[in-house]
Amino acid sequence: MITLSNIHKSFGRNHVLKGIDLTIRDGEAFVIIGASGSGKTTLLRAINFLERADQGEISIGGVSVSAKRATKKQVLDIRRRTAMVFQNYNLFRNRTAIRNVAEGLVIVQKVGEKEALERAAELMAQVGLSDKLDAYPSQLSGGQQQRVAIARALALRPEVILFDEPTSALDPELVGEVLGVMREVARMGITMILVTHEMSFARDIASQIVFIDDGVIVEQGAPIEIFRDAKEERTRQFLRRIMPEFTYHI
Amino acid sequence: MSIDYFSVGRVVEYLPAMLRKLPVTLAVAFSSTALGLVLATLIAAALLFRVPALYQVIKVFISFSRAIPINIQLFVYYYGLPALLAPYLLPLGLNPSRANPIYFVVATYAISSSAFMAVMLSASISGVDPGQSEAALSIGMTGGQMFRRVIGPQAFQIALPEMGNVIVTNLKNTSLAFTVGVIDMVGATRAIATRTHHALEGYVGNALVYFVICLLLEKAFGLLERRYRLRKG
Repeated sequence: MITLSNIHKSFGRNHVLKGIDLTIRDGEAFVIIGASGSGKTTLLRAINFLERADQGEISIGGVSVSAKRATKKQVLDIRRRTAMVFQNYNLFRNRTAIRNVAEGLVIVQKVGEKEALERAAELMAQVGLSDKLDAYPSQLSGGQQQRVAIARALALRPEVILFDEPTSALDPELVGEVLGVMREVARMGITMILVTHEMSFARDIASQIVFIDDGVIVEQGAPIEIFRDAKEERTRQFLRRIMPEFTYHI
Repeated sequence: MSIDYFSVGRVVEYLPAMLRKLPVTLAVAFSSTALGLVLATLIAAALLFRVPALYQVIKVFISFSRAIPINIQLFVYYYGLPALLAPYLLPLGLNPSRANPIYFVVATYAISSSAFMAVMLSASISGVDPGQSEAALSIGMTGGQMFRRVIGPQAFQIALPEMGNVIVTNLKNTSLAFTVGVIDMVGATRAIATRTHHALEGYVGNALVYFVICLLLEKAFGLLERRYRLRKG
């Protein structure tokens, strides 16, 4: 289980997160939606300390740390319980695809080279890239790079995978393959927290959806509650703006 | 009487005496580059971590090293360093004014090229896109692991061509070492010129030697670059 309590974060004078409380149960596909600048990406990055929140508590799998006072070691501990998939893939460009996947196993988890490569090859098969093991990131399409990035995250067997707008940088025709792999991840029962603009995908796979606006949680619920009968006007407005057809078809 | 300006025979004749001093030239070039690289690493770290007061000092030092001709720097260090160090070294029984001038030459080129190399290193490191650092951290790497596995190797690729230029520059700058009394290849050539009254042949020989070494260095760095580029794909 992952709990965030009273998370605050400011960039200079800009108060981005204004006291966020969330609980994410194991195996959940937890989707965060909201307009650009609403703080959803910052919230995701606060979980693994890529942004250090100014205040609040982060707890993952029974380890609880203060966002403000977490030591280097605690930060490392939290990061080793999580993995992240980025908008821009962020593969290590000096390593082949399979090495990208094996890197964390070998360097961080100290798994033997041979075993790590075997596991990496399995994961590469799972994301449908068995024929690209030795390709460098520069030789892969965006969609392929993102699938490698997902395999890299899966390899670590983290307690949660954080997805930060994983399809936003992709050409439209490549979005499908990445969503397909993510659907698979959700089906495997791996806990995921996903920031996305892909509303229909969110509706399909999410177990919980939370709508964030201006640094606060406006509304949270099962997809059907959010998409069909959102209680808050702000939520309805956002959904109308981002997916006009929803308000007419449902 | 025909005018005897130039003979290929004398180029060949003088070459061995010059080549005997080639090790001095190479030693100055490589040791100053190596020492400069060590200094540059420290400076680059200070630049990257933006160490407060040091940061300003280094900025001034870098523009100093870039703006001032190398022979002027050489004289400034050659005459300046002994005066600066004497109070500390004399009590230890060491007289820096009597030290072998080669140390000052190496120090000058090391200090001077360290400024260039520091800028090069910090630019190469900042040149690796920050997303990869975040990815490294997100999978639980420590800062050190991130540098060794992800940032360092890629910064190295970026820095390599510039590194080749620095070595070539330092090598060519060694030709000024004679001005403070170092007997390197050029020093030997001048001695020959004085003794035989034939200057041109010696310098032509010198030109050939520098040319060949630079060519070899270029080739070596070309190979290195290709090797590391291939790994990037």
